[in-house]
Amino acid sequence: MSTPHGAAAPAEADHQEERAARVAQPPTGRRLGIQRYAILIVFAALVAAFGAAIPSTFLTIGNLSNILGGQAVLFILVMAVLLPTVMGDFVDLSLGSSLGISAMTLAVLNVQHHTNVVLACLAGIGAALVVGLVNVFFVVYFDNDPFIVTLGTMTIVQGIIYIISGDNSVGIVSTNLSNWIFTNNFLSIPLEFYYGLAIFLVVWYVLSFTPVGQKALVIGQSREVARLSGVRVNRQRSWAFILAAGIAGIAGIAYAGTNGTVDPTAGSSLILPAYAAVFLGVTAIKPGRINPLGALIAVYFLATGTAGLELLGTQAYIQQIFYGAALVAAITIPKATRDRFFKRKRSA
Amino acid sequence: MEQASAPPAVELRQISKVFGSNRALDRVDLRIGQGEVVGLLGQNGSGKSTLVKVLAGVYDPEPGGRLFVGGEEIPLPLAPGQASEIGLSFVYQNLALAAGLSVLENLTLGQRIGGGARAWAPINWRREHRSAAAVLDRYQVGLDLDRQTGDLAPVDQARLAIVRAAEDLRRYRARSGSEHSVLVLDEPTVFLPEEEVDRLFDLIRTVVAEGAAVLFISHDLAAVRAITDRVVVLRDGRVVAEEATADIHEHELVDLIVGAQARLAESAAPEIAPVEDVRAVEETLAAMEAAGTGGAPEQGENVAVGHLTDERLHDLSFEIGPGEILGVAGLIGSGAEELPYLLFGARQAIGGTLRLGTETLDVAGLTPQRSVRERIALVPADRAVQGLSQGLTLWENIVMLVEDEHYQRGIFRRGELVELAREAIDRFLIRPPLPHAVASTFSGGNQQKALLAKWLIARPRLLLLHEPTQGVDVGARRDIYRFVKSAAALHRMAVLWVTTEFGELAEVCDRVIVLTQGRQTATLTGEDLNEEAISAAALRQTRPAGPGQQERDDS
Repeated sequence: MSTPHGAAAPAEADHQEERAARVAQPPTGRRLGIQRYAILIVFAALVAAFGAAIPSTFLTIGNLSNILGGQAVLFILVMAVLLPTVMGDFVDLSLGSSLGISAMTLAVLNVQHHTNVVLACLAGIGAALVVGLVNVFFVVYFDNDPFIVTLGTMTIVQGIIYIISGDNSVGIVSTNLSNWIFTNNFLSIPLEFYYGLAIFLVVWYVLSFTPVGQKALVIGQSREVARLSGVRVNRQRSWAFILAAGIAGIAGIAYAGTNGTVDPTAGSSLILPAYAAVFLGVTAIKPGRINPLGALIAVYFLATGTAGLELLGTQAYIQQIFYGAALVAAITIPKATRDRFFKRKRSA
Repeated sequence: MEQASAPPAVELRQISKVFGSNRALDRVDLRIGQGEVVGLLGQNGSGKSTLVKVLAGVYDPEPGGRLFVGGEEIPLPLAPGQASEIGLSFVYQNLALAAGLSVLENLTLGQRIGGGARAWAPINWRREHRSAAAVLDRYQVGLDLDRQTGDLAPVDQARLAIVRAAEDLRRYRARSGSEHSVLVLDEPTVFLPEEEVDRLFDLIRTVVAEGAAVLFISHDLAAVRAITDRVVVLRDGRVVAEEATADIHEHELVDLIVGAQARLAESAAPEIAPVEDVRAVEETLAAMEAAGTGGAPEQGENVAVGHLTDERLHDLSFEIGPGEILGVAGLIGSGAEELPYLLFGARQAIGGTLRLGTETLDVAGLTPQRSVRERIALVPADRAVQGLSQGLTLWENIVMLVEDEHYQRGIFRRGELVELAREAIDRFLIRPPLPHAVASTFSGGNQQKALLAKWLIARPRLLLLHEPTQGVDVGARRDIYRFVKSAAALHRMAVLWVTTEFGELAEVCDRVIVLTQGRQTATLTGEDLNEEAISAAALRQTRPAGPGQQERDDS
């Protein structure tokens, strides 16, 4: 029987460190290169396979429009999910209900109270922002675990959605909104895709091409290094929660415009696919890093897969299996590649 | 004494341990008699911890060493965990207590680990509670069994850990019917306020009365003299002295530990520097010189710390001149290790001022953001967690502090930044010179150079270094000394260098102050600035006896 204080002795860090890393070689460009584009290769294979199987329905403008437009709500939500995640706050479960409360606020105001649709949209986004502020207060200010806090706020907000909707679907929202989001299109693709693309471009630019984004990355990678380098860690984390909630609010508007009718459970079915896309995106373009471009590819990889399966005539539950499998793959693939990397380091 | 005839509780003979070319232990003999308290003394790197780890089964000693427990030979090496089966129990400095569990749970933790059928036996908490209360009674330690362990005072945590270890030994004696057992205490007094050490000693005496022998490892000479029967001094892996505590004076002990004569001969040994790098260093220094003087203040600034106070530091004041490298020496627990973090605002001080040139900052209100703005730099000891972001690339780490300057009109000049990093990699001799490689793939020495580069390219006015050569190979160590020295000279930058490697301080610093118990107790410059003097100053005045008594009452 070994006692915990009997055998546990601090490892000889110095020696190990020197030994392990004396001639450590950083990963070569080629290895990273293959990993970087692995998902694109799988994506291309998927398109080729569906294209070969059902060319008449899969390889059409209609299908492209369906894939790009049909997933715009999810895509916008993914950009929201990305922000806290980049900064190491790995879960904001409440973003799904932020989407929901935004959509429901809009629908209730517009349909039941005949509020001007623009004002209703702003009110919806405002409601989502309140959720973000509450998260900031409890997660950042009181330094709580984001998983637990957002589990709580998610449930509370979901309850509020049931109250204001009377547990019913609310519709139909102004056709003006539907027109500007879903019905009107540019190059045969619904406008909402371009809204999502615009949000993506802003998020991508900020995270990849500004010092703010670089600092966010450091916060996510090692919060203590960021703090001791003078980064305002908590301020940036706060902004991430608030902006994420705001973007989720915009996703809620897009949801309402796309569906016309808002279901009380709108957001909860979207939040897990959004996380699946973010984590799958970690394997692409900048492996090991949460990055917007990877997430973009991942969203449309998943969308293409489900669309193809749908066209093949599979049941909805087969598509669910595809999504679930992708989620598991999303969390396993980065780990597997990282472990391989560590093995290399040890043998060096 | 009676134990002269009985076999010693533990006897080690001819124990050696070699790491690469370094002989950490050289034919060490150590005897601990039954009911005896033996002090094991020595500087950092003298082999104390290596010896403990051999006893604990963490390291395998070289063949030829022998171990006897109660007169019976136990084959070496020991398997990990075997130590507890032969009557050895260890309490390390970190105590190995689960802070979130109750006192009761920590006390019984050892019995829960192991598995087998007993792992499924139901726990009768009321009975556990009663027997644990009896254990605490036996050692006369009054603790609330339901308190969360993390809420206890440090001394009570130490006492709990010792009780737990002593109880393991008592159970071992009851189980095996043998009379010998040894409690090994590795630096148990380091973080304890002086007035509380006595309570720990009472406990140790009780443990001895119960029948265990004690090996007491410490830097703290006053503590060693108060509690031990006999002392063994290790230096460079060899036993240099073994004396009854009562027969030896403190200054003799210091001389034995520091080894004044022996050291002088050794320091004449040639310094090791990697041949290929010598020229590179010269070129780098020349380049720094050429590029350097531009934006630097001609005069440099005086840095003055005034009345700095926190839990461990008492009203500390000192100055650092422009271009001066000030070393701060102190054993663990002296407060020296707090200093860089307090002056950077990484930890909150209770009070004090920091004057940079004409500007005076309140240290208690200092934040890392403010410090970075004031161009104070902190190179922390914990490189992996606080220094470099291990998952980011080398270039991203190096330019972290200056990237804002390369974002103009909405364009992030990434190319410029990579180029800047590449230049720093060249200058600071970081190998391999790959800016896009991930930080964790570099060796300790190269990571440390990168960390230094990160702060030095931001042109600090005050550079705070904590253990800057920890886990760094000899070549990189030399490079780091030279980079800091030349940066201090070129930019007239003030440097505060805190480390427990006193030889390093003697080599790089212009002046060294010694802290003991949170107070400045010595200043060394010029002729007096050598490793032995620093060690002696740090050791000697650890716990003032006699005349110091009054001072203790004041605090």
